[in-house]
Formats: sequence, C-alpha cells, structure tokens
Amino acid sequence: MALLELAHVSKRFGGLLAVSDVSFNLDRGEILSMIGPNGAGKTTAFNCVTGLFPITSGSITLDGEPISGLPPHRITKLGIARTFQNIRLFAFMTAVDNVMVGAHWWMKERVWDGAFRTGRARREERSVEQRALELLDLLGLSRYAGSYAREMPYGLQRRLEIARALATQPRLLLLDEPAAGLNTQEKKELMQLIARLRDEGLTILLIEHDMRLVMEVSHRIVVLDHGEKIAEGSPADVRTNPRVIEAYLGTGASNEMQSA
Amino acid sequence: MPDRFRSLFRADTGQGQRTRGNTVFWILSSTAAALVLMGWLLPWFVDAYSAGAGFSPQDALISPPTGVGTILIYVLAVTMVILVASPLVEPLARLRGTTFGRRADRIRLIAALVGFALTVVIWFLVSVIQEEPLFGSFGPGTYTDSAVWLTMYGYALAALVYGARPWVVGRQTLAFGIAVLPFGIFLPLMFHQAPDFLDWAAGSLAIYMLLALGLNVVVGFAGLLDLGYAAFFAIGAYACASFASPTHNIHWPLWILIFLGAAIASLFGAVLGAPTLRLRGDYLAIVTLGFGEIIPDLATNNVFNLTGGPNGISGIDQPKFWFLNFSTSPRWYYWSLLLVSLVVIVLLRNIERSRVGRAWVALREDEVAAASTGINTTTTKLLAFAIGASVSGLAGAFYGSIVSIVSPDDFSFSVSIAVLSIIVLGGIGNIAGVILGSFILTFVIFWVLPNMNEWSTTLSQTVHVPGLAGIDFSSYTYIIYGLALILMMLLRPGGLLPSRARQIELESGGESESLAAVQGVA
Repeated sequence: MALLELAHVSKRFGGLLAVSDVSFNLDRGEILSMIGPNGAGKTTAFNCVTGLFPITSGSITLDGEPISGLPPHRITKLGIARTFQNIRLFAFMTAVDNVMVGAHWWMKERVWDGAFRTGRARREERSVEQRALELLDLLGLSRYAGSYAREMPYGLQRRLEIARALATQPRLLLLDEPAAGLNTQEKKELMQLIARLRDEGLTILLIEHDMRLVMEVSHRIVVLDHGEKIAEGSPADVRTNPRVIEAYLGTGASNEMQSA
Repeated sequence: MPDRFRSLFRADTGQGQRTRGNTVFWILSSTAAALVLMGWLLPWFVDAYSAGAGFSPQDALISPPTGVGTILIYVLAVTMVILVASPLVEPLARLRGTTFGRRADRIRLIAALVGFALTVVIWFLVSVIQEEPLFGSFGPGTYTDSAVWLTMYGYALAALVYGARPWVVGRQTLAFGIAVLPFGIFLPLMFHQAPDFLDWAAGSLAIYMLLALGLNVVVGFAGLLDLGYAAFFAIGAYACASFASPTHNIHWPLWILIFLGAAIASLFGAVLGAPTLRLRGDYLAIVTLGFGEIIPDLATNNVFNLTGGPNGISGIDQPKFWFLNFSTSPRWYYWSLLLVSLVVIVLLRNIERSRVGRAWVALREDEVAAASTGINTTTTKLLAFAIGASVSGLAGAFYGSIVSIVSPDDFSFSVSIAVLSIIVLGGIGNIAGVILGSFILTFVIFWVLPNMNEWSTTLSQTVHVPGLAGIDFSSYTYIIYGLALILMMLLRPGGLLPSRARQIELESGGESESLAAVQGVA
C-alpha cells in the first residue's frame, strides 16, 4: 500500500486554482520528485500535505489514514517532516537547539519536570541533546552546534533544516528545493545525503529545479504545470515526454535534459 | 598558581560575552559608587528634614569634624570621590579612545579597601566608643547604622569589581548574583530605621519584580505582546482579598492564598489566551488591552457581589505566624517576598532552559516552522499565558495582603505600562535584565518621584531658589515611562542587559508571520 496518497486534491485561493485535481501515490522507501515551472503549485501541494493549507477538495491519506484537515503539528507526529523553500530556521536559537525543537513532540518531559529539573527531565535533556549532536555530526554540522542558525553559512542552514526535520523521527520527508543556492560541491554532498537517507528506509518527496539532481536520485517524477499534473513516470519517461519538454523545459533546454 | 586562579586575573576575550560582561561591570561599579555616595547623602535620602549624622555633607557644614576625625573623614571623602568618579570617567575615556589600565584598577581597589577600613573605624568610634564630637551630634533620629551598612557594602562591591575585573566581565551572571543577593537579604537591616524604604522594597520593588518576571514569560520568551497584564494582578489581589477579609467572612492564611491567587490567575490567563491564539503583534496587543480594561470595570460594577464595587475590599488580614506579626513589621513581608521571588526566578529559569522554554522561543522565532516541527502552537501559547498570569496572581495575593485594601483603581492601565516598561528597560527575555529593570524603574517611580517634592523643598531652602519648592514631581510618572521607552528604543533596543539572542537579532530584525495568517484563517 502507498505511504502517502493524494486523490483529486485541489486548492483554491480566491479566483486562483493553485492546485487542480492532483492525484499521485508515494510508496514506502521511494523518492518521488515534483517538478514544474515556477508557480506550478508544487509548494502549495507541500503546504497542503503538511497541513499549513486546508485543501479545497480531494483527500490526502498517510498509510490509509486521512490527514487533510489536521493541524501541522499533528501531521508531524504522524511522521511527515519537511523543510522550507525559503529557509525557516529558528534564527536566534543555536543549531543544537534547533534540532532539539524537532524532538519536542516525542519528549516526555512535562512543564513541572522542566521547572524542578527532575532527574527524569535532566536525563532526557541530556539524551536528546546527545542525539541532536549526533544528527548534527551526521550532517557535518558539528562545528556549528553552538552557533545561532542565523550565523551559519547558507548551505549549512539548508542542512540544519534537514537535521531538524529528521529529529522529528519522520517516515516521510518533504524537501522543498533543498539544492537552491548551493554550489556544485554542496549539491553533490546533498545528493549523497539523500541517497543515504533513502538507504535507511526513509521515503522522500522532493521539489527541485536542479535536473541533474532530480534525474539522479528520483525513482519517479511528477510534473505539475499551472496546478495540474501533466506527467508522471520514471526519470527516463519524463525526460522524453513531449508535453513536459514543451510545457516545462522549452525546446532549448531539452538538449541539456538528454545529456543529463 | 593554578590556572583557574590565574584566569581570574586575565581579561576574557570571548566575543559577545565581553560586551554584556562590560555592561554588568559598569552596572556593578555604578552601584558601588551610588552606595558609597548614599552613605554620605543618607540623612537627606531617608528623611529630608532630619538633622542626620553619619557622613552627611550637611553635618560637615553644620558642625565640621575636629581632631583625628577630620583626617579620617577627609581621607574617606577622597576614596568616595575616586570611586564615584570611576564609572563616570571610564565610558568617557572609551569614547575618546583611551582605556584605563590595570594601574587605575589597582588604585581604585586600594581606595575601596581603605574606605572599607575607615568606615569600620568610624563606625567603631561612633557606635561603640560613642566619640560623638568627632562627627557632629547624634540624636535618636540619626541614620548612622544605615549609612555604615551602605558605605561598607559599596566599598566591598567596589573592591570586588576593581580587584577582579576579568572575573566579573567573564562570569557576569554569577558576579551579578554575588553582588546583589546579600544586599537583598540585608536590606531590612540596613534600613531598619527607615520603614518607608522597607515599604517601598516590599510593596513596590518586590511586587513589580514578580509582575515583570511573569510578563517576561509571555512577552519575552513566547513573543506575545500583552498590554492587559494588570488584569491578572487584579485577579490575584481580589482572590486574596475575598478569602482573607471580613467581606465574605473567610479567613484563610496568606501562604495558601498565594497559591490560590496564582491558580485562579493562570486559569484566567488561559481563558484570555484562547480567543487570541490566532492573533499576533498589534492585534494581540489590542485584544489584551481590552481585557485589561474589562477586569477593573467588572470589579467596579461589583460583579456577582464579589468585589465590593468602586470601594473595593478592605480589612484584608495581616498574616501571623507564631510570634511573627506581619502588620507590625514590614520586614517579614519583604523577606517572604524575597524568598518567593527567588523561587520564582529559579523555576522560570529552569523552564526557560527546558523543552517548553525551547518551544516558546521557537514559536517566537517562526510560528509556521514551529508548527511544522511538531509544536502544538495552541497549548504552547496557552501555557505561556497561564504561567505568566500565575506569577502575576501570586504577586496580587501578596499585594492585597500588604496594602490590606484593594480597589479597582489599583489595577489600571498604568500598572500594565509600568511592568512593560520595566522589561523593555531591563532587557526583554532576559531574567537578569528584568530584575535590574524593576530595581531601576520602581526606584525612580515609587521612591524618587514621591520623595522629590520634599527634597526639592529642602534644596530650595538650602540654596535659596524658591522656584524649586512646590513642584509636584509625582505627576511626572508617565514622562518617566515615556522617556525610558523612547531612550531605550533609540539607544539600546535590547534593554540594559539584552538577552544574547536579542542582541544579534537587533542587527537584522524582522518579525515572523503568524501560522493563522499563512493558513489564511486570520
């Protein structure tokens, strides 16, 4: 059974139909990429899945359970974590604190535990901090553990967002243009990271403009244009799909696609 | 010498910490200067009309010291001048690009030690040998004790800051605590001859410090601007009044009522919080402002016959434990409040560093990201409101007991503004800053201004300027709030002791949008 299932999902803002009757499935352990020109409705679809936008019609289910209409934090608890296109870190918290916020929902510490610093609270704080540091280490951010998110280089902020998302212990990770603004080396590292997360069994839904990255890591690709799904299939299929080339890539860019 | 001790004498080079540490250093050295000076001015300070003694310049004018006392008093004056000038001169020097080296610190340290020793000698001569003619005449209305306490404290503090400057700069929080706590504990003893001052310390300083600590949770930690905070203060005070007065013929002890006041206020905090969950910034401020107006109005209208209408509730019980009768001795209120404040400070500090404290900050920084990271924005906000309100309710219960009569006028908008001004002045989101802010602002508003009338009248007689007499300084309260807010926003937007995060934030700024706005439901 599919892990995430979107069935005839539409999202309307006033007169604008940002997402129109989009359906697709995401299987466990799969990396599915959503591509499409700017304004195609990719991020809107993300926001619908994570509960930031209530959907206008259709249904979204995670593991067969409907999740549309749930508040964002409930959806996070059900196992969907995300990053944002325009990085949304807690700018004036340290990197390690940012990651520890990701552990918020599954920590057992109550207010009074924290207020009286009970043994239980201290133990949990220590172990969560330890895990946060391990996550930072995994993403190569140990050096910046004590720095404010704002003080970190841009590329590392993107990685810190992924670390924070991973700390929520997700089954499904939504990455919104994780390669935007990264240099070639950073993109290469990102690709390795995504591959590693996939190997560990994480399911990933990816929005990305960098075709080389998309073609390399994706199992399948969904193409959106003007809010509608215009194509779906393996990278090879999508790459040669004439509608995609026409609507999204334009004739000039098709050469690059072929060589990618 | 072990490294740990050597580091005590080495300047700290950690960036960021350094600026804050220097601020703490400046605050402590100024406090030392003020205390040393206060010893001289104390007779004026506690009672403008007294023919006080101690080291008062008035006394020096009226009856100049003679004999060995002359030498002592003039040497003491030199140490006083050195220590008073230091915190003034240092920032000026830094502006001109020069700095004072270790030699200057060593001179000041010697001045502080000499001053301390001389004060002890003078105290011995005055109090033990009663060598009166040395320092003028003493009567029953003199303030030598307080003068000696303050001066000695000031010299000790000066010795600490100038003798171990790198340590003070490096370990600012600890240094601040070590410097302030003994003063807090011994304050009733220092001022035992000045009950008005004790009333101020318990009834204004401690109460407003608790209020500010509570509001700091809502505004500072969670970033929710609350302009109606006095409402919870009123709720706590009325709860105490209702359960400890002849009005309803219930007489519960204060130490139960402070918990009751806190519990009821936190309940109201959650009730107020609920309708404001989708609001942020200006809109939230306006709704809370409305709530702050409604509560005193309800009390005025004697709702459910509980509040006694415009006259309020009077005859509130004064607590008694065994031999301790609070009504005859304000120092017990003071010490109770000090203890309660310390407990509140420790608990709030712990919460700030715990899971919930992180969630508050995350909410303040980016509500959308916080929600998407698994934080329940609803309960987290309500928790901030409830905890903030509970501290306010606690303060309200004490307040009701201290003043023994509560009426709707006590909880007007000006209280909310005063509390907000305190945290803006001290440093939003930083507990140490809030404590400092409550010291400064309550001292100016509730001690200096009310006493200013008398002081200016005395001064007008001394220097023969009739215009100084008869000015009503207490009507300038709002000017002080306004000036404090404007000056802070222009010169030090983070407050006197900004939180570390706020300090960096000010360099970039920008407020995050609300979750509701993103969802399109606000």
